[in-house]
Formats: sequence, C-alpha cells, structure tokens
Amino acid sequence: MQVTDKDILKNFTDALLPLPETDWQAFSAGWQELTVKRKTVLTAAGETERYLYFVLEGVQRAFYLADDHREATIVFTYAPSFSGVADSFLTQTPSPFFLETITASRFLRISHDCYKQLILESRPINDLFFKATSLALQGALLRHIELQCYTNEEKFRTLLKRSPHILQIVPHKYLASYLGMDATNFSKLINTVRL
Amino acid sequence: MNRINSNVLISRLQSDIREIILLCHDLRQQPAYILERMPGAERWSVAQVLEHLNIYARYYGGVIENKLHLHQTTAADNFTSGWLGNYFTRIMEPGEDGTVKRKMKSPANARPRTKPDSGEMLSEFLQHQHQLLNLLEISRHADLNKIRVPTTLHSFIKLKLGDTFSFLVAHEKRHFIQILASLREIKAEKFDQSMEPSGHAL
Repeated sequence: MQVTDKDILKNFTDALLPLPETDWQAFSAGWQELTVKRKTVLTAAGETERYLYFVLEGVQRAFYLADDHREATIVFTYAPSFSGVADSFLTQTPSPFFLETITASRFLRISHDCYKQLILESRPINDLFFKATSLALQGALLRHIELQCYTNEEKFRTLLKRSPHILQIVPHKYLASYLGMDATNFSKLINTVRL
Repeated sequence: MNRINSNVLISRLQSDIREIILLCHDLRQQPAYILERMPGAERWSVAQVLEHLNIYARYYGGVIENKLHLHQTTAADNFTSGWLGNYFTRIMEPGEDGTVKRKMKSPANARPRTKPDSGEMLSEFLQHQHQLLNLLEISRHADLNKIRVPTTLHSFIKLKLGDTFSFLVAHEKRHFIQILASLREIKAEKFDQSMEPSGHAL
C-alpha cells in the first residue's frame, strides 16, 4: 500500500498524541499540499504567520536580521516536523523572523483559521497542539542553555548528535550562525573535532 | 492566451514581494549617504527609486483596496491576462537572467524629488509591501478577471486586477535590479577613491 502524505503526518502526530478516528478525520482534512522552490521566502519579517507547516521534504530556516549587518539563524526545520514562525502563528502578531526554504521543499500546511476552529471543536486536537507547542517550548529553552553555557566544541557536538545529516544539507555559514559562532571557528571545528 | 491558476499566480506574486522585503532589510543596513547618492548624472539614487515605487504603491494600494472593499465577485479558478495588461507586465518583467532589457523613461507624474529621505522612503515602501501582501491574500476570494482597476495613465484605461498586481510586482522587481546595480557601483567608486562620507555633501 502506498504511503500518502497524510500517513506521514499521522505517524508523526500519533507519536505525539494519537487522535480518535473521527478527530483524525477532521484534523487531516484541514491540511493542504504546497511545493516551493529553494530560496523561497515563506514568511517575511513584519508579516503575520498564517500557516502551520508540516515538512515532507526539504530544509528550511528561520532567521532574524539585525540592523548592524548581522543575521542570526534561529532554527532549522526538516522532515518530518512542523515548521512556520511558531510565535507569530500562535499569537497572530507580526513575525520578527524571515522563514525561507534552503532546498526545494514540500509541505502540508493548515491555515490559522482552520487550526483555531479545530482546537475549539475538539478536545483531543487541542491536546495534540498543546503537546506539540510544549515540546517546541522545551526545545527552545534547552537551546537557550546551549547558546549561553556551552563551549563552541560542545555546541558543535550537540548539533551533530541531534541532527547528524545537517552538515551535508545546510550551508556551513548558516550552521555557524545557528550556533552563535563565526564561520572560521565553525570550519576549524569541522576539521578538528573527532566524532 | 496566458492562462494561469489564480492561486498559483497569487502565491508567486506574494513570494516575489517577500523577496523584495528581504532585500529592503539589507538596504536598511546601508548608511543614508550611500542610499541618497546618485550613481551618475541624471541617474536616480536608491532613495529616489524607492520614492518612485512609493508613488505607484500609494496610488495602486489605495485603488485596489477600494476595489476589493465590498466587491461582489467570487474567486475564479483561472486568471487570463488581458492584452494590455499582458503587454505592460511583459515589458516590465526582468529577463530570466535577472537583467533589465529595455530602458524606459518614467512619466513626469512618477518622478521623485531630488533628495528624498532614504529612511522615510524605505519604511514607507515596506509598509506598502505588507499592504500588497494582504491585498493579494484578500484577492484569493475575489475574481482577478472581473475586477478592473484604473491605471495611472488614465482613469478610462483599466487593467484586470490580476494584471494590475502582476504589472506592479514586475515593476518593483525591475527597479530592485537597478537598486542593486547602483549600490554595487557606488560602493566600488567609494573604494576606488576612498572618499569619506563627508565628501558626498554636494
């Protein structure tokens, strides 16, 4: 039997919190497919995030542009996981970040209107989103610790342990920015750290 | 001739605009004397180009908003360019290689002032881009064929809404190629002569 995009989504959400069949039907009906080229800006800074994405293929990054020529990569997303500017989506306020695709990407996405209706009508769906949001918050806070307390080498090791394939798919300057170090230090680490 | 799925067209224009917003954030990091310097005689500074684009965005942002307010149309699956709209977009649209083919002269009513403030022009321009993104989103529920928007040329000359959007975005893309080229020139010139910012007072 062929695995559909919605099956992939279901595998992912089942691991978070399985939904009863009727709730799953309502939930899965809200998602639509979207395919975009590489280097496509999905959400611009100042825009309010209208969608929650589920990544089927490709890599994306959210980044912040500071006024002093610096650019900070905040997060990478890739399959299978949610994507989108989470804070802007949840609060429906303008996004401080840009969200762009690094490689050609395929998604399922759900609009904020649809999401809102689902969480109002179904307790299990509400619980599912709450679980996903909680885990995202946990991840963001853990990363805060890494950024403030880890040495460059520890940051580098942690990244590779969590996402071993990321060195091949993401340009190193973005990885360096994500870890809060400059590109030269990052390339030194690649050449010296034994994994 | 030139039939396209309405949602595909809207998404494409939105992603072009987001690209332009991203470039604006780069511009915001340039000092004012760079943005306000003319790259040559009779050639516009970046701030002037932005004012030129703002003149169009002010007009079209307003009329499109009016047209979409209380419109009675329903979304059509496909959009078909009108002959005039198609022509306007085609001559504006930069080539695949990202170069501008034909130079054009701007109409007198769209010429910028001699020395507009770059900060003001940039933030106004950004506001217009966000307005355009929203108007495009609203247009997903409207008929891009049936709503017709008067042009700046003459109120009797109207383009289909889909053409107005396409033309407007192509026009901005064209001028952003100009902006990037000017910036490169100005920076190279600054490097050559190692001129101080104060040297640009005139």
